[in-house]
Amino acid sequence: MSQIPVSVPAQEIMGSGHVACPGCGAAMAMRNALKVLGPKTVVVIPACCWSVIDGPTPHSVVGVPVIHTAFETAAITATGVRAGLRARGEEDVNVMAWAGDGGTFDIGFQSLSGAAERNEDIIYVCYDNEAYMNTGIQRSSATPWGAWTTTTPVNNPKSRPKKNIVDALAAHHIPYIATASVAYPEDLVKKFERAKSIRGMRFIHILSPCPPGWKSVPEQSIRISRLAVKSRVFPLFEVLDGWKYRLTQDPEPVPVNEYLRLQGRFRHLTPEAIDQIQQDVDSRWNQLQQRIASSF
Amino acid sequence: MGHVLIDQEGKPVFAASTGRMEWNHTGSWRYMRPRYENKLPPCTQGCPTHEKIPQYFAQVKRGDYRGAWEIILEDNPLPGVCGRVCYHPCEDVCNRGEFDERIAINALERFVADQNLDRRYPASFRQPSNGVNIAIVGSGPAGLSAAYQLARRGTAVTIFEAAAEPGGMLRLGIPEYRLPRHILDKEIHDIQSLGVEIRTGQRLGTDITLEDLQNRFDAVILALGAYRGRAVDLPGRHLKGVRSALDFLRELNTHQPVDLPERVTVIGGGNTAIDAARSARRLGADVTILYRRSRTEMPAVREEIEAALEEGIDLKECCTPVEVLGDESVRGLRWIKTRLGEPDDSGRRRPIPIPGSEAVLETGAVLLAIGELPELESLPALGTTGSRIAVNDHYQTNLEGVYACGDVADGPVGTVVDAIATGKATALAVLHSLLDQKPAANQPPVVTYDQINLDYFRHQSRPALPHLDVRDAVQSFTEVNQTLSPDTAEQEAVRCFSCGTCIECDLCLIYCPDVAITRGSNGVPYVINYDFCKGCGVCVEECPREAMTFEEELSCTN
Amino acid sequence: MHELAPALKPYFNEETTEDILVIEGTHAASHAARLARVQAISAYPITPQTSIVELLSEMCATGDLDAQFIKVESEHSALACLVGAASAGARCFTATSSQGLLLMHEIIHWVAAARLPIVMVNVNRALAPPWSIWADQTDSLAQRDTGWIQFYGESNQEILDTILMAYRLAEQVMLPVMVNMDAFFLSHTAEPVALPKQELVDRFLPPYQPEFRLDVNHPRAFGGLAKPDVYMEFRYHMQQAMEEALQLWPVIAEEYKYHLGRWHGTAIESYRCEDAETILVTAGTITGTTRLVVDQYRENGVPLGLVKIRMFRPFPVEALRQALAQAQRVGVIDRNLSFGQGGIFYSELKSALYNGDHRPLLNGYVAGLGGRDVTPDVLAEIVEHLIHSETGQDLVWIGVKA
Ligand SMILES: Cc1cc2nc3c(=O)[nH]c(=O)nc-3n(C[C@H](O)[C@H](O)[C@H](O)COP(=O)(O)OP(=O)(O)OC[C@H]3O[C@@H](n4cnc5c(N)ncnc54)[C@H](O)[C@@H]3O)c2cc1C
Ligand SMILES: Cc1ncc(C[n+]2csc(CCOP(=O)(O)OP(=O)(O)O)c2C)c(N)n1
Ligand code: SF4
Ligand code: SF4
Ligand code: SF4
Ligand SMILES: [Mg+2]
Repeated sequence: MSQIPVSVPAQEIMGSGHVACPGCGAAMAMRNALKVLGPKTVVVIPACCWSVIDGPTPHSVVGVPVIHTAFETAAITATGVRAGLRARGEEDVNVMAWAGDGGTFDIGFQSLSGAAERNEDIIYVCYDNEAYMNTGIQRSSATPWGAWTTTTPVNNPKSRPKKNIVDALAAHHIPYIATASVAYPEDLVKKFERAKSIRGMRFIHILSPCPPGWKSVPEQSIRISRLAVKSRVFPLFEVLDGWKYRLTQDPEPVPVNEYLRLQGRFRHLTPEAIDQIQQDVDSRWNQLQQRIASSF
Repeated sequence: MGHVLIDQEGKPVFAASTGRMEWNHTGSWRYMRPRYENKLPPCTQGCPTHEKIPQYFAQVKRGDYRGAWEIILEDNPLPGVCGRVCYHPCEDVCNRGEFDERIAINALERFVADQNLDRRYPASFRQPSNGVNIAIVGSGPAGLSAAYQLARRGTAVTIFEAAAEPGGMLRLGIPEYRLPRHILDKEIHDIQSLGVEIRTGQRLGTDITLEDLQNRFDAVILALGAYRGRAVDLPGRHLKGVRSALDFLRELNTHQPVDLPERVTVIGGGNTAIDAARSARRLGADVTILYRRSRTEMPAVREEIEAALEEGIDLKECCTPVEVLGDESVRGLRWIKTRLGEPDDSGRRRPIPIPGSEAVLETGAVLLAIGELPELESLPALGTTGSRIAVNDHYQTNLEGVYACGDVADGPVGTVVDAIATGKATALAVLHSLLDQKPAANQPPVVTYDQINLDYFRHQSRPALPHLDVRDAVQSFTEVNQTLSPDTAEQEAVRCFSCGTCIECDLCLIYCPDVAITRGSNGVPYVINYDFCKGCGVCVEECPREAMTFEEELSCTN
Repeated sequence: MHELAPALKPYFNEETTEDILVIEGTHAASHAARLARVQAISAYPITPQTSIVELLSEMCATGDLDAQFIKVESEHSALACLVGAASAGARCFTATSSQGLLLMHEIIHWVAAARLPIVMVNVNRALAPPWSIWADQTDSLAQRDTGWIQFYGESNQEILDTILMAYRLAEQVMLPVMVNMDAFFLSHTAEPVALPKQELVDRFLPPYQPEFRLDVNHPRAFGGLAKPDVYMEFRYHMQQAMEEALQLWPVIAEEYKYHLGRWHGTAIESYRCEDAETILVTAGTITGTTRLVVDQYRENGVPLGLVKIRMFRPFPVEALRQALAQAQRVGVIDRNLSFGQGGIFYSELKSALYNGDHRPLLNGYVAGLGGRDVTPDVLAEIVEHLIHSETGQDLVWIGVKA
């Protein structure tokens, strides 16, 4: 096949009419996730853009039961939903927590860690747009080094690297962790299929382009996401049982600047800063390679 | 227990949803609008007849060879011929060439034709009579193409052909090892099946007059070709054994006895030269080609030159003849080396003899293949540009109701496909003038390489085209090149980017964050629901092949 | 069943009682949760709540209780977990105290507004700093405006019975209920407690069948963004539910008495108030001591009465107006404090009486903060102060050392 074929399940759970910004990666991600998980799914949404995207009461675009919950409680509310369903004898329902990076890396990290340590039977998805977008683009611990946000202005951009959430989750020895990209829908779908087939705590980290927050043009959302993977800023891999690493996509690499230059949030970066980012990306890639090598 | 959380109107008294979001027409946010619009692939643009290449590839992929054939037939009634002898300018501009290797378009065209050798045009192919009656003179590709396009549109067509059989250079010039005659016959028969009458042995100027035709027909199309060898000023040219390469080929192709000496020299670098050389080779001669420029400048089809070399023909590049040696008959040829100077009018670099580099070549025959010109002496009323009939943009000559196309007319000459293209254009121009039938609307823009979303493609090489082993090839006039296998043809069609032409890969549908694209019905692949499309443009941007258009919302009507 | 002391016999109805145990208040709460057949429990340990969850863990482990116990990493998660479980349709229980309750605060609001009938036991414990583990009601009273129904208990038996009734009430009006007991004075004081027969409890408290839940066959979103055009109605309906709870509570108490043979009063309990000129108002364990003091004064001919507030939210305004209709002087004893204002029960009562027909002299006494003992002597001091007051005083500190 010359054109790389992309196919995703035909079923359409999420609907139209939601209020995500044009080109929103979080909307694309939800759509594909639900295509896999299907109608027997409950979605738990903490405070984040998706609490708005879903639509105002009494409407909801998601198409399966949704519980909106407090910002820091995605993992634990999902845990409770699982317990409640079990109490009612409904074992065959997927429970998916769907949180932003703020709700995952920061304020929700405690309850996420708790749920991971207890190996709760939930699928936890972090759609990571690398800042608090709902409240107007403030930095989160998922914001990458050097990026502009409204709380890390260009004359004082973020000076600490992005938290490595996958490493943090791997340290909990949960059965399944994956990174996924909206630009690789088939890969994303496969990961949700795998997650669906496993019991216990599953964590899927989706890089989710945000045109207003990244100062990018909406039509390039997929392009940028793909470049994140190709530049190895956001490699696509899986971690089984917290230690078995497996790369799922390995496209021809491109320099990080290919990825950075399409986003206004990096526009202020000097060539030296871009070099710095390239070095960081390279060393993290090497680390990942080592882990993959020592995995099987 | 009654309802606790539902009020009298049946509404929940806390935040619980009762419906979805379809009421929210986010289409109102849109200021840019996507729509499906195929663009012009460069190959289609590059093909003089504008064959819809990715479209018929789509049918090849599906195994619908008849469908593929019918798509080609829109523009070209001679795919079996073109698939064998066309110099395929489409491939030169193929976007895939910049990525890895250009698509074997020509081989696929032949494949499609060959898959349909037993098929006839569908009944629907011929439209009801339009009451127009046209005479065409000459049954080469230009005349056949014009006749075909006219007849399909319900026109009565009569072709007057001087030769005993129709086909022009396809029959008289091009040798059988390149174009088996049953292919040509089949495609001519197909054209005749539309009611085209071909009267052979009818020479304009001898058997019929132009005035007569002008009186009897609504219009006359002259497609006389060019078959008189260009004169040369070469000492010794009158010696026995010096002759036109085209005459040699014509004799061969009309199965007249030809006898050749052991050593033959061909002068020229075009198709006639190569064909004469390869034919002579097949007749057992030792052949040398003399060409005054370098090999890259040779006008012959590249693959033909390569085949000639493989077949053991000696090519002397940058050599020009000085004198034919001999008493009565040719014994040898004195030639001189050239170097290339500044470009001349034709844009090619002018060959300049290098003094002192002369040498002599032993040869028993010299075949001149330095170009052919039309014979217009019998048609003095026609305006010319010197050697060819002058025509305007609508292929009209200076005489009322008389058109000209193909090699006889001024314009792109010397190739089969240009003849087919000008024949088609002339037919449409005639109908336009007689019936006010509008030619097709504006062409959409051409897809450039940088508009192809390369992320969706993997490198893959062009297939090797099957052909006879050279040792066998030179033994006879059996066709050298062979047709692709269906598997290879399919793979190659799949390899095509399908520039500007939707292949229903679903990417637009998959990526739309607003679930605004659905599959259509009745041949419409996709439908955009503008009630919800926010105009993000992701679909347009991600379409690997520019089959969608993104434009300002205000500038379009729904 | 143990042989009952004759004096206890009317209280511990033999027909309805499975067993009588001498247990601490915390364990009374655990047994109540078990008897209510809760399906999901989530909790995080904090003194003096710990023994509630320890016993429940035990019960779940032995199978005495068929519930899922999610041992979370914080109180915040404990309650958030139950948001999920209750939304999925499970009957839920949790317990906490003091700091834990405050950590839950965001979710406490959430539960009520999500209309989830969770029952939580809070052991009233003082707030830090400085660290203190002893009785004080400021923790639960700080949750006053969350939309939870609140009860305060005087005895371990009352705690058990109130929890069972709380589930009935919660599931009937779809609001959560917090049942409060004083740290140590109740939580860690062993008293005889009658455990009612399970089948009688089941008759009183049928399984939880919510009208709305996370149901894949009827997908709905709960708690989504509400614009100003709809938000206020949701709050209006919560208030309606509170008012309904006030009406329903006496009915449920009657039913409880009918099925299980015990009665602790309605939203309030009046003790020897019939002809009382002076009335003390209490909540929690101070009530028990106050009963003794009332009896003593009565013996001396002083017409002293007691009103015990069981239900703090919804606040039983009418019941209190009626109970105090004849009183000349009313003193409210608060083991809690709203800084800058005073005792919280006091200010609640004061505002309750303002629009009524009868406004007695009203004093607010703050006593026993941080677990300081409120002894009969301390109470006598309050009575003396009240009897001799000429005008009402908003904040009278009792027992503050110089
Ligand atoms: C040997 C050779 C090899 C070639 N190889 C290739 C190739 O590989 N690829 C390629 O693209 N092109 C090739 N060409 C060129 C190509 O064949 C011509 O450009 C093309 O055939 C021109 O078509 P036409 O219809 O204009 O004229 P022709 O094909 O020349 O047809 C003209 C017809 O008109 C008839 N005619 C002429 N005068 C009269 C008259 N007065 N009355 C009645 N009938 C008349 C002729 O008999 C002839 O049948 C080759 C040409 C030659 C000679
Ligand atoms: C306890 C609490 N603190 C703060 C907020 C305000 N708040 C709502 S969403 C949000 C940011 C969410 O960021 P993230 O999780 O990355 O999701 P995003 O909006 O980027 O999709 C914040 C800070 C809140 N709702 N609750
Ligand atoms: S890739 Fe296909 S469509 Fe594009 S120019 Fe080549 S043959 Fe034509
Ligand atoms: S991806 Fe969807 S929303 Fe975006 S422009 Fe295309 S159809 Fe419209
Ligand atoms: S993305 Fe694929 S399906 Fe959509 S228009 Fe382009 S070629 Fe067609
Ligand atoms: Mg975010």
